[in-house]
Amino acid sequence: MPRTIKVEIKRQSNPDAPVVTEKFEIPYRPNMNITSLLGEIACNPITADGKTTAPIAYDSNCLEEICGSCAMLINGKARMACSALVDKLQAGNPDEPITLAPLSKFPVVRDLSVDRSVLFQNLKAVKAWVPIDGTYDLGAAPRQFPQIQEERYPLSNCISCTICMEVCPQFNDSTNFVGAATIAQVKLFNMDPAGSVLKEERLRALAGDGGVQECGFAQNCVEACPKQLPLTEAISDVTREVIVQQVKDFFTR
Amino acid sequence: MATVAPPVPSATSPQRGVQPLRAGQGNSFLWRKLHSLSGIIPIGAFLVEHIISNFETWNGPLAYAKQVVFLNSLPLVRVLEWAFIFIPLAFHALYGVFIAFRGRSNVNVYPWAGNWMYLSQRVTGLIALAYIVQHVWRQRFSGVMLPEHPGAAFAKVQHELSNPWMLAIYVIAMIATTWHFSYGIWLFAAKWGITPGNRARKRFGYVCAALGIALCLMGLASIYAVVYKYPNAPENVLPETPAALVQPAAATPAASLTRSLTVTPLTTQSQPRSTPQS
Amino acid sequence: MAASPRIIVVGGGLAGLSSVIKIAEAGGTVYLFSIVPVKRSNSVCAQGGINAAKDLKGEGDSVLKHFDDTVYGGDFLANQTPVKNMTAQGPAIIDLLDRMGVPFNRTPEGLLDFRRFGGTLYQRTAFAGATTGQQLLYALDEQVRRHESEGKVTKYEGWEFLSAVLDDNGVCRGIVAMNLRTMETRTFPADAIIICTGGNGAIFGKSTNSVVCTGSAQSALYQQGAFYANGEFIQVHPTAIPGEDKLRLMSESARGEGGRVWVPRDRNDKRVARSIPEADRYYFLEERYPKYGNLVPRDIATREIFKIVYEDNMGIDGQPMVYLDLTHLPKERLHKLEGILEIYEKFVGDDPREVPMKIFPGVHYTMGGLWVDFNQQTNIPGVFAAGEADYSIHGANRLGANSLLYCIYGGFVAGPQALNYAKALKPATGDGGHAAELQRQNEKNKQLTSSSGTENPFKIWRELGETMTKHATIVRYNAGLDEADAKIVELLHRYKNINLSDKSQWANTSFAFTRQLYNMLELGRVIVRGARLRDESRGAHYKPEFPNRNDEQFLKTTKAAFVDGAPSITYEDVDTSHIKPRPRVYSST
Repeated sequence: MPRTIKVEIKRQSNPDAPVVTEKFEIPYRPNMNITSLLGEIACNPITADGKTTAPIAYDSNCLEEICGSCAMLINGKARMACSALVDKLQAGNPDEPITLAPLSKFPVVRDLSVDRSVLFQNLKAVKAWVPIDGTYDLGAAPRQFPQIQEERYPLSNCISCTICMEVCPQFNDSTNFVGAATIAQVKLFNMDPAGSVLKEERLRALAGDGGVQECGFAQNCVEACPKQLPLTEAISDVTREVIVQQVKDFFTR
Repeated sequence: MATVAPPVPSATSPQRGVQPLRAGQGNSFLWRKLHSLSGIIPIGAFLVEHIISNFETWNGPLAYAKQVVFLNSLPLVRVLEWAFIFIPLAFHALYGVFIAFRGRSNVNVYPWAGNWMYLSQRVTGLIALAYIVQHVWRQRFSGVMLPEHPGAAFAKVQHELSNPWMLAIYVIAMIATTWHFSYGIWLFAAKWGITPGNRARKRFGYVCAALGIALCLMGLASIYAVVYKYPNAPENVLPETPAALVQPAAATPAASLTRSLTVTPLTTQSQPRSTPQS
Repeated sequence: MAASPRIIVVGGGLAGLSSVIKIAEAGGTVYLFSIVPVKRSNSVCAQGGINAAKDLKGEGDSVLKHFDDTVYGGDFLANQTPVKNMTAQGPAIIDLLDRMGVPFNRTPEGLLDFRRFGGTLYQRTAFAGATTGQQLLYALDEQVRRHESEGKVTKYEGWEFLSAVLDDNGVCRGIVAMNLRTMETRTFPADAIIICTGGNGAIFGKSTNSVVCTGSAQSALYQQGAFYANGEFIQVHPTAIPGEDKLRLMSESARGEGGRVWVPRDRNDKRVARSIPEADRYYFLEERYPKYGNLVPRDIATREIFKIVYEDNMGIDGQPMVYLDLTHLPKERLHKLEGILEIYEKFVGDDPREVPMKIFPGVHYTMGGLWVDFNQQTNIPGVFAAGEADYSIHGANRLGANSLLYCIYGGFVAGPQALNYAKALKPATGDGGHAAELQRQNEKNKQLTSSSGTENPFKIWRELGETMTKHATIVRYNAGLDEADAKIVELLHRYKNINLSDKSQWANTSFAFTRQLYNMLELGRVIVRGARLRDESRGAHYKPEFPNRNDEQFLKTTKAAFVDGAPSITYEDVDTSHIKPRPRVYSST
């Protein structure tokens, strides 16, 4: 009998529905990733015990780890499904089932799809943008040395996958911590010559409830980030500036 | 044309899960930073002082007694004690418990070094808290009052540690407290942006580890000294001065000042420090 | 007319976001619809860079040279006036992006750095590492978020465009959209709409495109009466990583930074790539095109790789793959390519700094699209289009790094033009066709949910992709194209017998997909029919039976109209008012 890949998927047909686990066995092909497994199930939505079921709902788009859509828990750990290769996951024990579950810190929409809009709200709260005068032609931007670009570019690689938030022990509904991604974006925009005009506002925003202070420096964010953003460094730098700003404000406002 | 306004996107309906940042609102930043700072100053500073002072036990009961006398000789010592030790400690402890119980540790899923340290900081904090409560109660506020009877300090601790369970608790607490403190310094530097880079954090990690180990060894050495090096220490190595006889118990600043004046010459005279007077 | 014109933009990639920004700036009310959160749009996949003739390298580059390269690269099929305007705007657009905070790479003096791309001899491509599209999209996304927080933009993320609402006179009065969570279908009134829904790679099954790039919106409009132009022009990128689920792009910037394409001279050479000495390597692009070398335009590089593999049988180990070699590049150059090197490393497992990459061409870009006039308006009044979704600018072959420039330029034209149009729009009579269109869409939905056939939509899609890839990509034969069309007709027939394994009314992704699938099938026919009728070879469209360009007959835009349920093709003259068409030869020295 040809080899199959065993998959166990935590499912939930809507936010209020009970959680069930369904098992699938998928014919093995080399070089599969988790998204191709899910595509295979969509083509043939039958569980391991022969029951016809609905295709798995999950978010995905680019399939090359740049759009940030397909974060989920794979064998319990948060990672991008597109870059999770079956051969690597099963290295050593191909009979071990792969488990899939939605991210645990975000409201489930359906199956593996979750609502991560809180990140985008946070980006709004810290004004993560450069407030340009307008899109008409105003000539060249100020010069910027490569060293600055070298520091900004890695931060600008954040794909908003929210894995840094998922793995953070402090990111939960009692702290309402803003999470590393947003803090890194604050550093990014504070470093931009024109973006820095909003620096003080951003720093004040981050001193609000759920701000930088909630970081417990477990450093999971930087370990788990699929794009290797220097998140702890950003948290350090931004917190220092928030403190300085708070002290300044205490004496001047 | 029917220009019915489109419905507002569902984003405004009550949101489940983690709520967005409350930009600029609330006071948690101040409290959290005070918590962090209080761990270094004054509590950390006091811890260092306490371990160094305790290390005088290595030199025997009399040396230790003299250290107790010296500390009690500090101006406004009772005010200092409350303002710089008890109140900050209580705040640090209670707010720390609050922080600890709001975290959701996940080392079972992500067994990374930093994550273990995150958990360890909470566990050691709770151990230290439990220990300190009993320690302060039993050593400071019950039994022989040491500010009035500094000479009894060594013996009081020795009696305490004669119970093997208590000894074990002291050893565990010593490790937990110095761990909590040294990692706390590291965290402080990282979180206040003093060591932003990976390399800086790594290097400072060695410094903190060295400091923690040194403090811990000093503390354990003190325990060793009390339990094994000077067995059967006398109940009181500094017999009560006449002043104390005239004014028993009352720990007025005047009394402690008098006492410190009387013991000052002793400190300078005692040449063979290691020889306990019995 | 409403006091403040109401504009709907469909699609949140570069083109959509740039038109949103222009409208918000001009004081219009704008609603942005996107299937995915806009920050996850397909524009993030663009890697290499964005063209603008700023001539910061002292090479004597100019806007006119950029213009000429683009028209020539597109084999003269593009209308020249919009291309001229776009290239003229290039430098200002780069400056604007720089002001928005895009972390473009820099020279030591702090100026923008530029790299060379395919189809040009100048270093004209500004870049942010090898993730330029991502960086540009984020910059625009941030600007839109800013306008959104100021209440000028309302986002409808997670809503899918189903169709335009047309009144009795065929004028667009809004859209019908479906909420992908609640599955609610409803209409939204608008005075003008802008379609910025990108390309249609999904029709080919596996491509370098994202999952959402189905061409569904364009197809829906085509079925409502919009012309679809130059559908047969599909860019197959020469260098992609073959994959199980998709083809992952390996940017042209790899060659721009000095990457070389080769195969062993001896097809039986079994040695490890790095141990094969220089003399035994066949750098076929460099030898055949000494002037442009590895940076010939994409259609040419793709065909050469195809020929090496299938005609010369020189693919590595007999497989359809050739080497793209970066191992000789110095560290600083590799550093500028970090983003794509990581992709290769993660998905293939080899380190491209140490081992030459194995690549093969993959479907990449849709040159064709909705027909638009020079104001980006389609033939349906009130429906505008911009970006990859329309057909302008790229002609028969797109030059690398022109897509990002065009998306932004196109959005910058479409936004204000739509606003102008909307300001002059007369009010609709009655309900403007909203009720009727909503009913039409609801009936389609009902048909799907009540259908109890046996066909799995994902399997139909697979068959469509296989057919399209086999017959309508790099090399096309009329017999094959006829076969493909017959196959699609068959699939359309089978579609009627579809079985939705999920009929629930909550976040039903397969339901949404099945709706898109129908549109993909219809658009697939447009591509195949256009290719079948164009008996010449031009740019990306290559027919061995007709190997030459035939300007007399085919220097014309293909326009497909949906007539009686099938594509009806007509032709329109191309604007060649600036540059006289000349033979396109890259092989001379």
